[in-house]
Order: sequence, then C-alpha cells, then structure tokens
Amino acid sequence: MENVPRYFITWTIYVALFLGGIAAVFPFVWMLLVSFMTRGETLRKVFTPADLQWGNYLHAWREEDFALYFENSLLIALLQVVGTLLFSLMSAYALARMNFRGREFIFYGILATLMVPETVTMVPNFLTVSWLHKTGPVAWINNWPSLTVPFMGSAFSIFLLRQFMRGIPSELWDAARIDGSGHLRFLFMIVLPLCRAPLLTVGMFTLIGSWNALGWPLLVTNNPSWRPISVALQKFVTEAGPEVHLQMAGAMIATIPILVIYAFIQREFTEGISMSGLKG
Amino acid sequence: MAMALMRKEARIAWALLAPALVVLGVFGVFPIGYAAFVSMHRWRIKKGDFIGFDYYLRALGEVDFIGLLILSVILFLATSLIRRRLRPYRVCGFVVAAAIGMGAFLGMATTGDEKLFNSFLVTTFYAFGTIPIEVGVSMLLSYLLFKATFAKGAFRIFYFLPYVTPMIATAVVFRTLFSPNPSSIANRIWGFLGFENQRWLFESRSVIALVCEALQVQYQPWVNDFFPSLALVVIVLYNVWVYIGYDTVILLAGLSAIPRHYFEAAAIDGANAIQSFRHVTIPLISPTLFFITLVGFIGTFKAFNHVYILRTAGARDTVDVVSILIFDRLYNYQDAGYASCLSLILFSVILIFTIAQNRLLGRRVFYGE
Repeated sequence: MENVPRYFITWTIYVALFLGGIAAVFPFVWMLLVSFMTRGETLRKVFTPADLQWGNYLHAWREEDFALYFENSLLIALLQVVGTLLFSLMSAYALARMNFRGREFIFYGILATLMVPETVTMVPNFLTVSWLHKTGPVAWINNWPSLTVPFMGSAFSIFLLRQFMRGIPSELWDAARIDGSGHLRFLFMIVLPLCRAPLLTVGMFTLIGSWNALGWPLLVTNNPSWRPISVALQKFVTEAGPEVHLQMAGAMIATIPILVIYAFIQREFTEGISMSGLKG
Repeated sequence: MAMALMRKEARIAWALLAPALVVLGVFGVFPIGYAAFVSMHRWRIKKGDFIGFDYYLRALGEVDFIGLLILSVILFLATSLIRRRLRPYRVCGFVVAAAIGMGAFLGMATTGDEKLFNSFLVTTFYAFGTIPIEVGVSMLLSYLLFKATFAKGAFRIFYFLPYVTPMIATAVVFRTLFSPNPSSIANRIWGFLGFENQRWLFESRSVIALVCEALQVQYQPWVNDFFPSLALVVIVLYNVWVYIGYDTVILLAGLSAIPRHYFEAAAIDGANAIQSFRHVTIPLISPTLFFITLVGFIGTFKAFNHVYILRTAGARDTVDVVSILIFDRLYNYQDAGYASCLSLILFSVILIFTIAQNRLLGRRVFYGE
C-alpha cells in the first residue's frame, strides 16, 4: 500500500463513507418526499412532488384517532422514562456507592435478568397484569400502569448508571459527609447532576423502546383510549388501502418527536452507547 | 455505634433498591417460573386442567425422539472428555453423536409442531443472513471512519439515524419501498438493472426458486422449503440497515480505545496496512466484535416489532419467526398454556446458543493482559 498516493486513499475512504451515508439516509428522504405527494403521484414513477401537499399531514392526523394515539404515546413515554430513570438512579447508587450485605449477589442477579427475552416474560406478564387488573386498586388493562410499570425495572439502565457512578471520586462523598450530608442528599444534589450524560443515554434508550413497543400494547389494550401510535401506524399500513402518501405522513409524524430529541442530545447519546459496548 | 451506622446505611440502600427490585422481580424473574407453571396447564383465558408435559410433546414431537436427542447430547459431552491423544475414538464418538442427534431432530421435526419447526428454520435463516453482513459491513465502515480525518461526527450522526428513528416508522417506509407495485422504488431499481418486477414482501417463494424461474430452469418444490423466501430476505435487509449504524458506533469506540503505540510498533516492525489490520486491529477489537455478534444473535431471536409490521398475507408463513408464532398463539388464540410452552422452548434455545457461542468464539477473543 506504500506506493499508493495518500490522496487516493483519502478519496476512496470518503467515497465509501458517502455511499454508506446515502444508504442510511435514503429511506428518510423518500419518506419525506412521498409524504408531500398527491395520491396520483404516488402511483406514477415520479420521485419529487410537484407541489407540497401539506394537507396530507392534516389528513393523517385526523385519520381515525391518530391524534389520540399520538398523545397516548407521549404520555406513556414520559411516565416510563421518568419512572425508569428514577428507579435506576436509586438502585445504581445503592449498588455503586453503598455498603450492605448481599450487594454483589443483587448486582449479578439484576444482570442475569438481561438474558431473559421479552417473548418469554410476555405471556406470564399478561396473566399477571390481568390478575392485578381484577384484584388491584387501579385498573391495569386499558390503562397506563400496564403500559409503563413493567418496564421500569431496567437491568441495562441500572448497569450503565452503576458503572458510571463507580467512577465518581470518593473525595466528593467525604467532603459532602463532612458538610453533614447524608446519602440521599448526596445522591440528589451531587451525583444526579454529574450523571447527566448517562442519564440522557438511558432515557433515550427507554424512549426508543417505549415508542417502538407494539406487541405488548396490543395485548393489554383493546380500545383506543390508551393505545400508542405504533398500533395506529401498524393498523394504518396493514388495513388501509394503498394510500401511501398518508402512510408516509403518519410515519413522519411518529418520527419527528424522536428525531427532535435526538438532535438535542446526540453527543451524549453516542458517547453513552460507545461506553456500553466497552468492557466495564 | 459503627454497627448502628452500617445498619442504617443498609436500610437506606435496600429502600433505594426496592422499587426497581420489585418491578424486576414481578415482571422479570417471577415470569420464568410462572411460565413453566402455565405451560403445564390448559390455559385459555382461565386456568384449566393440569396436563404435565403434553404441550412440550405436542411442540417437540414423540418422546422417543426427544430421548434420543438427549442421548446424543450426553454422548457428545462424554466424547469430549476422552483424552485428545485418542483421536480416532474422539472422532468416532462425535460422528456417532452427530448422526443420532440429526436422526432424532428429523424425527422430532416430523412428529412435532410443524409451525414451530418452520419458525425455527425461519429464525435461523434470519440470524445467519443478518449477522455476518451486519458485522462485516459495520467493521468496514468503522475502520474507514477511524481512518477518516474530518467530518467524522457528521457521518456518525447519519449512520446512527436508522437506529434512533422509531422502527415502527422505518418499517412502514420499507413496506412501501418494497411493495409489489411496479412504481415502488425496489421495482424501479430492479427494472433499471434489467430484471422483471418482483413481489418482494409479498413473495413466499424462495430466492433460489426465483433464480431458477428467471433462468427457466426446472426446480423441485422442496427448494421453497429449505431456502429463505424473498420476503424474508427483504426483512433481513431491513434489519441490517437498522443495526449497521449502531454496530459501527460501538466498533468505532473500540477502535479509538486501542493505544496508538501498538500501530506505531507494528509499523516500525515493517507491517503493511493489511498486516497491521489483521494482527493488531482485529485481535484488539475482538471483545467488541464478540459483544455485537452476541447481542445481534440474541436480537434476531427476539425480533418481533418490525417482522410484525413487514409480514404480509402474500409471504404466508415464510417470515414467521418464533416470537411471531408465540404472540399469535396468545393474541389470536388466547392460548396462554401453549404460548408459554413455546416461549420456554425459545428461551432454552437462546441459552444453549449463547453458551455454545461463548465456547466457540469466546476462546478466540483476546482480552489483553
């Protein structure tokens, strides 16, 4: 390779990277373009719409209960993200920075649950939720608890946060204790702000997971009151006729909130992901 | 005094752990035992009679064949205890064990639940079609990114988009990109290359059969049973498209963590670019490669959401992976008993797979000093 000129290598690298980038982005561009087409244009072999049909978005938004589903998804995601972050932060702190008997056992026990696939827990959890629905004080079926609570114990989030907290220097804790702070105050006043980056990563993962959930919501809801947008889109695609432009507008609506959030926390998220793949 | 303080600390620690532990216990650990309990009962909406292992026999086939399979596994393990010097005996043992195992498996497949064995075949196609491409391409891309000097961040953002975007939306996009409609992008590109329109996600015939047809060669009907359908290939493509960016970012982090002086030392010793890639980069990146391979395999065995959106009536059961089958049992048949049984079978397969992969690949992974 020594006799190949340097600029040739650079060019090859960038051409290859660029082709990869096009492959990654093309479906988005296409989704965006088609979402602005008329029905006639989607059936002809055109690539760009003649006029931007903003009406498609309004149409998709009004289709059945799309707006309601969208609102449901936002609420479910919010509850799930807040719950997961709070629970994981607390457990991770106990596991990373407190001394008690059985700590290692609990930690490895939590890690072991990562091996259990969702498909296995789905059936018994459905029965558990139905039982809670009948006997518990709040309704679970067709209500937010069944859609959020089962996911609030996240082994992955606890693991990631614990690894990060172990790296916080112990001098900080010593200083806080001298100033009269206890564990709780130290956790929420000092550790929480320091954990910004891993919390954003974990939050984004939870958000993506919550937004994508499809099988479980179908099981535990049977009317639109709490159904998320994934169910609406799935129905839209498999039941509606060939109204591709409206489907794409719907897909765009489902995509926008996630991409906006990603744009804001992009740096922390990619850093956090990189951390998760390395040995901890 | 110190004891009292420690006890207080322990109390706070348990209180902090409690919420997550309760949720994990109820919805993560308890279900495994509960699934075993449910799978031994008739269970449609309500609990019914105790039926022991009947569902397992219905799923896995006649008990003789299952016994034979267990026998072959024992034989296999026993053979691996034979000392390496007695090589002919070892080889003999392995061959016999493999033969018995194959026979037992064929027997199970013919007497067991046809749908289950079909879905395992589909899942296997899916995993083995996805992982090599995914890992290969992301390794290449991450190496190129690693070597690139500017605009790294921009490329990283673009590559990551497919993973971040809701699968639910991108699967819908792929459904229209690969629709059988002559105006779909896939058919337009295909036509541009000079081929005939395809039915893509609606195609249940295998790719081999389609090639035979295009070449006007006669083929046997079993070609459709033992090769992936075109619809499944499109789903593989989708999966690869989604996860390449994620793998690339993780591998890039792994590459960046390699100390520079290793490459410098290799260069001083006269290694060229390919040698330094083969003997420095690959061994040092192997833990990360192993990680993404393992996560990828488990992911394909769990795949549900996008398959559920991308499956069509036209593709029939050629894209029904195991988790689709389980969901269908519960959602459309309300059959919790049999669904639990199937899910535990899937769990065992994943566990065996993980252990096997650890033993086969794990040995080659280099963790440094």
